[in-house]
Amino acid sequence: MGRTEKRRRRGLKFYLSIYRKILVQDLKSKMSYRADFVISTFGMIMVNLSGFITFMILFKNFPTINGWDYYHMLFLYGFSLVALTPVQCFFDNNWSLRYAVESGDFIKYCFRPINVFFYFISEVFDVKGLGQLAFGIGTLVFAWSHIGIPVTFMAIVKLIVFLFTASLFMIAIMNAAAATCFWIRGSGYVMVIMFRFKDFAKYPTNIFSGIFRILFTFIIPIAFVAYYPSLILLEPDNIPVLTYLSPLIGLLFFFLSYKFWLLGVKRYDFTGS
Amino acid sequence: MTLRRCIALTRAGITESLQFRLGTAVTLFGNLIYLVLVYFLWKSIYASSGVEVVNGMSFTDTMIYLILATALFNFLEMFIVWDMSRSIQSGKIILDLLKPMKYKRYMFWSYSGSHVVLFLLSFLPTFVVVMIVTHGAIPMGLNLLYFVISTVLALIVNFNIEMSVATICLYTESTWGINIVKETIVLLLSGASIPLAFFPETFRKIVQFLPFRAVYDIPLTVLLRKNGSDTPRGLLTLLGLQLGWAVVLTILSTLFWNHSVKKITVNGG
Repeated sequence: MGRTEKRRRRGLKFYLSIYRKILVQDLKSKMSYRADFVISTFGMIMVNLSGFITFMILFKNFPTINGWDYYHMLFLYGFSLVALTPVQCFFDNNWSLRYAVESGDFIKYCFRPINVFFYFISEVFDVKGLGQLAFGIGTLVFAWSHIGIPVTFMAIVKLIVFLFTASLFMIAIMNAAAATCFWIRGSGYVMVIMFRFKDFAKYPTNIFSGIFRILFTFIIPIAFVAYYPSLILLEPDNIPVLTYLSPLIGLLFFFLSYKFWLLGVKRYDFTGS
Repeated sequence: MTLRRCIALTRAGITESLQFRLGTAVTLFGNLIYLVLVYFLWKSIYASSGVEVVNGMSFTDTMIYLILATALFNFLEMFIVWDMSRSIQSGKIILDLLKPMKYKRYMFWSYSGSHVVLFLLSFLPTFVVVMIVTHGAIPMGLNLLYFVISTVLALIVNFNIEMSVATICLYTESTWGINIVKETIVLLLSGASIPLAFFPETFRKIVQFLPFRAVYDIPLTVLLRKNGSDTPRGLLTLLGLQLGWAVVLTILSTLFWNHSVKKITVNGG
């Protein structure tokens, strides 16, 4: 009883200081594998480069896609890269959840007097995601200057708020996908499939029609990873309601995925493995 | 004698892959949704362009190419890099090296079972669906036979690329990094993410002489009878190129492996 009371009183400050400590440990251990770090960073650059080349080849052959020209598409592309950075940097440990659960190592996270989700996720900070961030920001700035969106204080605030919003959706998708391992053995493929869907976040959602539009907006919400949030800057005269609602929907998705994750943990406790 | 060992490994592989039926089902479903994404994207791309045929590829051609490339990818996908680095870390690789069979051959045949299962459960259904949906846009004839031959060659080329890359893992401890570099290069330069027909002229000329094309582009080109593969000469050039790469890469990866395995360091195990 007393322990739960105590747990509840722990605020953001406590968790931030813990996060910093765990982060330093993680970075120290990463530094001892320097070759791995260099090759992984190179790998990440290759991934982004290849995505970019594919994009360029596509545009060489087809100058517009559904009324979206080159620079608008580039903006969407950069936006999606930046929005996908937090899931890469901060939530990468979700990929190891399956192994931790199947081997039984996961039990160690349940014995600490801090939030299980927080403890597990904070254990890994993926440095190579920063390369993607740099790539994304570069693309975004380049596209921004060519489209000629006025650079005002409000525009920057909007950009940051909506980038943050957009990042929540992929985090939610990956949390939920990772948590399936509490129910299904060998569920790695769920994450792999969901992670592949993110490649389509960089295209305008109006290419989908009918039931698939609903599917990719509200069930597998890749439409929110770049398209809806970016419209706040790209089409200031014609902003859809979903764009305004996206911060709320993002928080809701994140909350649901978090609850689903914890539901899995509860189930794990019961199996007593 | 050797043949019996190989068949035993294939059989074990088949039983093993059939164990994870739920996984296969979910993967198939996920692929289906992925293909829907690909469909919508290219449909709107072609609709916006206003022309029927771009660089010799119609919308139907592009769709068949990309869908079957995805199907081929699922069927050819191997996890040798991961398997090997995990067995190095755990020390299990010592046991595999002691087996009365060459390690490379052992790897190849233990994967063959899952190839058989995936071909029947994943590639074939996709192929039939594409055939029905496109109302016979896939030419039916001897090209099917050539496609099968070409796919077997693609499998050998892919296996040797995998094996060479996995051998690099004996030197470094970076599995994720090396694997992602390989995957990105293979997917881009083999035409699996965007058909090679759309590549700019100079780029395409370079890619034409690289081995990656032998994995996805050549089997699909042969199947669709594109790029001169409907003439005996064009066909032989493509298959010859594949065969050449299969031989060269087999030799190279074997030499590289034989050289590297002497230097292997296993911590514990």
